[in-house]
Amino acid sequence: MKVEEAPNPLAEGLHDYRIAVPAVMVIFGATGDLSGRKLLPALYNLARQRSLPAGFAVVGAAMTEMSDGAFRKHAAQRIRQFSRTQPIDDRVLDALLSSLHYVTVDFGRLEDFKALGTKLDELDAANHVPGNRIFYCATPPPTYQTIAVQLQAAGLNKGEGFHRIVVEKPFGSDLQSARELTQTLQKVFTEDSVYRIDHYLGKETVQNILAFRFANSIFEPVWNSNLIDSVQITVAEEIGIENRGAYYDRAGALRDIIQNHGLQLVTLTAMEPPLAFESGAVRDEKVKVLRSIRPLIGEDIEQSTVRGQYTRGWVLGEQVGGYREEKNVAPDSQTETYAALRLFVDNWRWAGVPFYIRAGKRLPKRITEIRIQFKRPPHLTFGRDAMKEVDPNAITLRIQPEEGISLKFGAKVPSAGLRIRSVTMDFQYVTSFLVEAPEAYERLLLDCMIGDPTLFTRADEVEAAWTLVDPIEGAWRDGRPRLQTYAAGSWGPDAAAELLKADGREWHRP
Amino acid sequence: MSATQDEAPPVWHGEDVTIGDVLAALGEIRYKFARAEAGDEELLHPRNCVMTLIGIAPTEAHEHVAKRTTQTIGMQHPAQAIVIREEAPIRGRYLDAWITTDVRRPEVACAVQCELLTLHVHGKAADHLGALLDPLLVSGVPTYLWWLGTPPFGKRELLDALRVCDGLVVDTSHFDEPYNSFRRMAGMLKVAHHRLGLGDLQWARLRPWRETIAQFFTPSERRSFLRGISEMGIDYAGEGRGNRIAASLVTGWIASAMGWRLRRAVAGSGGVVAAIYESGGRSIEVQFRSVPQGDRVAGEVSAVRIAGASLGKSFRLSVHHNPPRARRVSRTPVDVERRRQDTGRVLLTLIEIGDGEPLRHVQQLEPEAEAELLLDLLSTGTHDEVYNRSMAAASELMEKL
Repeated sequence: MKVEEAPNPLAEGLHDYRIAVPAVMVIFGATGDLSGRKLLPALYNLARQRSLPAGFAVVGAAMTEMSDGAFRKHAAQRIRQFSRTQPIDDRVLDALLSSLHYVTVDFGRLEDFKALGTKLDELDAANHVPGNRIFYCATPPPTYQTIAVQLQAAGLNKGEGFHRIVVEKPFGSDLQSARELTQTLQKVFTEDSVYRIDHYLGKETVQNILAFRFANSIFEPVWNSNLIDSVQITVAEEIGIENRGAYYDRAGALRDIIQNHGLQLVTLTAMEPPLAFESGAVRDEKVKVLRSIRPLIGEDIEQSTVRGQYTRGWVLGEQVGGYREEKNVAPDSQTETYAALRLFVDNWRWAGVPFYIRAGKRLPKRITEIRIQFKRPPHLTFGRDAMKEVDPNAITLRIQPEEGISLKFGAKVPSAGLRIRSVTMDFQYVTSFLVEAPEAYERLLLDCMIGDPTLFTRADEVEAAWTLVDPIEGAWRDGRPRLQTYAAGSWGPDAAAELLKADGREWHRP
Repeated sequence: MSATQDEAPPVWHGEDVTIGDVLAALGEIRYKFARAEAGDEELLHPRNCVMTLIGIAPTEAHEHVAKRTTQTIGMQHPAQAIVIREEAPIRGRYLDAWITTDVRRPEVACAVQCELLTLHVHGKAADHLGALLDPLLVSGVPTYLWWLGTPPFGKRELLDALRVCDGLVVDTSHFDEPYNSFRRMAGMLKVAHHRLGLGDLQWARLRPWRETIAQFFTPSERRSFLRGISEMGIDYAGEGRGNRIAASLVTGWIASAMGWRLRRAVAGSGGVVAAIYESGGRSIEVQFRSVPQGDRVAGEVSAVRIAGASLGKSFRLSVHHNPPRARRVSRTPVDVERRRQDTGRVLLTLIEIGDGEPLRHVQQLEPEAEAELLLDLLSTGTHDEVYNRSMAAASELMEKL
C-alpha cells in the first residue's frame, strides 16, 4: 500500500508557489519548434519565478550533432525570442543555461539511449538527485512509441526515483491507434507516470470553468436541464491551416479540435462536482461525462453533424484563398475545416439538453466560448410586447481571447412605460486580478515536475473521446453527410444553421 | 496646490471641502468617463474595481511614495486608491482634496479608469479616519490600509481606521523604535476585529528565503532532515536588537512550523547571541550574528545556515544573499555594465549532503520595489496564518534575546 507522505510544514502558506523536487528533464526533439517556442521559454519563466529547484537539469536529446555549448546558445536564442516575459534577465538565463546539457540521440539507436543513460547517471550524482526523470517527447506523434520502447530497452524507465513520460496531443489518430499507443506506453511506464498534454487544459480560463461552477453556490442549482435550454460551444479561428497542410489534410477539424479541445470543454461544462480538485476525482468525473454522451451512429450522424470546407472569401478585411488552394492540400480534398455536432449527455442532470459544438478555420474571428442558454421564463408577467427585446438569460464563459464571464439578463429601460431589454454583466480576467496569468506550458511543466496529473488526459479519457468520434469520422469518410462549403470569413455552412433551426434555435454570434 | 501634486494634473481639486463634495466630484468624473467610453451605445460599460487601497502618509515624503506606488498598482489593476496625509498644513476647517485619474486600455477589454484620491487632513478628522473613509470605500471589494512609517499601535486612531478595513499592511523594516513597535504590533492582532488581516512588506521580502529553504526539504528523501536539524545560523546587517526583526521572523517561521519550543537565550562572543529551542528531546541552537551593514539595509538577512543529521546522513544548507562574486574576465564593457546593475539580487544556495560535493544553485531576486512587494502581498490577501504564527514566535524570541 502506498503510504501518503506528510506535507512539508515549511511549504505551508507559500500560496501559489508550488514546490518541485529536483529532477532531470530529457527533452526529445530539443532542437525542434515546440521545444524552442514553448518548452525552453517556459523553463526560463519557471526559473525566473524561482520554481526550479537546486539540482534541476535539462538534457536536450535530438538527432542533430551538437555540443552542450551549442545547445545552450540555441536555447538562449529561442528563449530571447519567445519568452512571454521581456526583457530577459541575463542572470536567470545564465543560471538556467548552466543546467542545460545535450546528447545526440537517434531514436532508432539503442546505443544512443544507453549513452543518454550514462549522462543522466552523471547528473544524478552531481546534483544529489536520486534518479528522478522526466522524458518529454517534443517530437512528432509517430515517434512516441519508438522512444518509449528504447527507454525500456536501455533500462531508463526504472530504478530509484520517479520516471515520467510526457506526450503531446494528438494521442493517436483513431481509437485503434490510440489504444496501441496506450498499450506501448503502459508497458514501459505505469499509467500514473504518463502525462498526456493537451495544452488547452493548462489555460487559466479553462481551469476557471471549474472554479466558476464549483467555488460558487449560486450557479450549480441552475446548472441542469430544469433551467438550461441548450449549450453552445464555439472554437473558432480566423486563420487557415498555415503551414500544416500535410498534417491537417489527414486530420480535419473533427480530429484536430473536436476530439480533444471540444470534448474537453463539454466535460468541464457538464461534469458533476468532483470530490476534490485532485487528479483522480476530476478525471473520473470527466470520463463519466464522455461515457454519458449518446453515441452518434447510423442516420444520427447525418442528422446531427455538419462538415464544411472553406472556399475563397474575406477574413479580417483581406481576401484569402480556399482550402483546396492551400499548400500540401489535395486539390480534390474532402477534409473538413469546419465541424458542427449536436450531442446529448444522457444522464439525470442533462437529459434532453442539446450540446452544440462547432469548430472551424477561416471563420470571422478567433474566439472560444461556452454559452449556457437558459429557458424563457414560464410566464410573461410584463406581457409579450414589453418582453419582445429580451433574450433568454445566458451565461457565456469566454475562453479566448477576451477571457471572462458574462451574464445576460433583462432589465427595465428607463422610461415612463414598461419596456424590458437585455443587458449584460461582465467579468473580465484582464482587469480583475492582481497577477498575470502564466503560460499554459509553465503550469503543465511544473505540474509534471510536482507529480500532479490533474490537468493531463488519462488513457480512458482519450479512448472514450475516440469512441465517440470514430463512427462520425468513419461516416464522414464515406461521404455522409455531404461535405458543405462555406465562404472564408463566414460563420460556416448554411447546414450548420439548419442544424439548430430544426430545433427552433440559432447559433449565438460570438 | 501642494508641492507634492506633481505626478499628474488632478481632474478635480477642492480646498476646505467635505467628503460629500469629494463624493459628488467622483460621481461626476465616473459618469463622464463611462458616457464617453460608451460612445453611441446606449449601455454604459460596467465599472471594474478589485480593491480600495488606502495609504496613510505621515509625512510629505511618505505621501510621495504612497501616491507613486498606488498609481503604479492602479495602472495595472483597477483599484480605487486613496492617500491620506495626516496632520497636513491646511488652512480651512475641513479637507483639501485632489482627484487624479489614469485610463488604461487593455487590448481586448473595456477601458478602465483608475482613480487616486489625495486627502489632506488634520486635527480631529485625522483621529477619526474610519468615519472619513467609510463613505469612499467601494462596496464588495476588499479594503487595504497601507500604513507608511510606524502605525500608532495601541492608539484609538489606528483601531478606528482599521474598523473599515480588511487588512493592514506595514513594513516592519521601516519602523521607528523597531523592537518596541514590532512587539506592540504582535499584541495588536489580539484586540483588532476578527476579519482583520496583517501584511508585512518585510515578510514579503523574506519570501525567496522561505521558498529556498522549503524547497530543500521537499524531496521525500530529505524530509527526515527536518527532524534532524540541530543548528541554525542567521546573519543580519547592522547591530542591536532592533535589527533582528527579519532574522527573528525567519527563525519564528521555522520554529512555529516545526513545533520547536523556545527554552532560553544565551549571549555569545563576537556579537553573537543564540537561542536554544527544544523539540522531541532534541536541542536546536540558533545563532544570530550581526554583520557589517555595508550597502545593505539595516536588519536585512544576509545568510541562513541550517545543519543537522538524520538516518546517519549529515546535511548543511547555506543560503546567502548577494555573496561576494568571483571576478570575471573576458566580458565586453557592455556585459560588465549590465551586470553591475543587478549585483544585489542574487540568492546563492549551497547544499551539502553526506560526503558528496556541494551543489551550488544561483537564483535571482526580483527588484524590491514597493509596488511589486505590495502587489505580491495583496494578490494573496493579508490573512496569512503562517505570518501570524511566525510573528508571535518572533516576538517571543526577541523578548528572550
